[in-house]
Amino acid sequence: MSQQAMTHAEDYSAGLALGVDHRKIGMWLFIASEVMFFGGLIATYLHYKYTLGFPEASRLNIVAVGVNTTILLTSSLAVVMALSSIRAGRSGRMSVFLLLTILLGATFLTGQALEFSHLYGEGVTLTGSVFGSSFFTLTGFHGLHVLAGVVWAIVVLVRGLRRAFSAERNMGVEVFGLYWHFVDIVWIMLFTLIYLIP
Amino acid sequence: MQVPSAQPARRWPLYLGVFLVLILLTVIEIMVAGSGVTPPALNVILLALSFSKAGLVAAFYMHLRGDHRLYTAIFVLPVLLLMVFAVLSVLI
Repeated sequence: MSQQAMTHAEDYSAGLALGVDHRKIGMWLFIASEVMFFGGLIATYLHYKYTLGFPEASRLNIVAVGVNTTILLTSSLAVVMALSSIRAGRSGRMSVFLLLTILLGATFLTGQALEFSHLYGEGVTLTGSVFGSSFFTLTGFHGLHVLAGVVWAIVVLVRGLRRAFSAERNMGVEVFGLYWHFVDIVWIMLFTLIYLIP
Repeated sequence: MQVPSAQPARRWPLYLGVFLVLILLTVIEIMVAGSGVTPPALNVILLALSFSKAGLVAAFYMHLRGDHRLYTAIFVLPVLLLMVFAVLSVLI
């Protein structure tokens, strides 16, 4: 086997044949598919919003959801700080930031559950109107993504406590972070499109 | 083995600064939404603010600013398609 072929084979086995890490590019491709998934839901919501009008949207509490948005933004800071910590070799500090991420994610989900409960109390339900269907589907799927992220954060935290990561080996934390930040970006857009734009 | 990151290990002042800007932009969004500005100017301002926030998260927290350009291309292409769909869904 030639030297060039051997080098390529080594790169391939290390997941670096494209010059990028295969776990990272896999996550970016997954995120690209998620953009299209949420894109379909957002386009549906906007279509009905501008063809039917959504008077029920006036019942949404912008300030409360703004606080929830801030909580999710804070969780993104916690995730990037966790990655920064492990890259600096500080495993303990990474665990603290991951725990903070889990708590903030759970708080966001609690806020969303309270909002859903309030809207149901006001008569806005999943099957009661087009607004209800499109609103709960869009925000509900986002909530499910946050829930999946919280579970993933718990897994990363447990692996971190078992010393699975170090300053040199931290791709597991980085890939989780990419997912979490993407979920944050989706909410940034939903907050504007659903709650702020009339 | 993994690809060496383009990001230095200690960047918390940058991350904290980005976070403060994100919070500031969120507060501005809520204030603008409650002001007397009417569509379409209101929509343009709010969309500009939210895209700025999303861009900050992608550039600094997801490290697209210093990472391989392939990641940026993979992310930006579907976002552009999404924007086309979103505009069409409003117009049709």
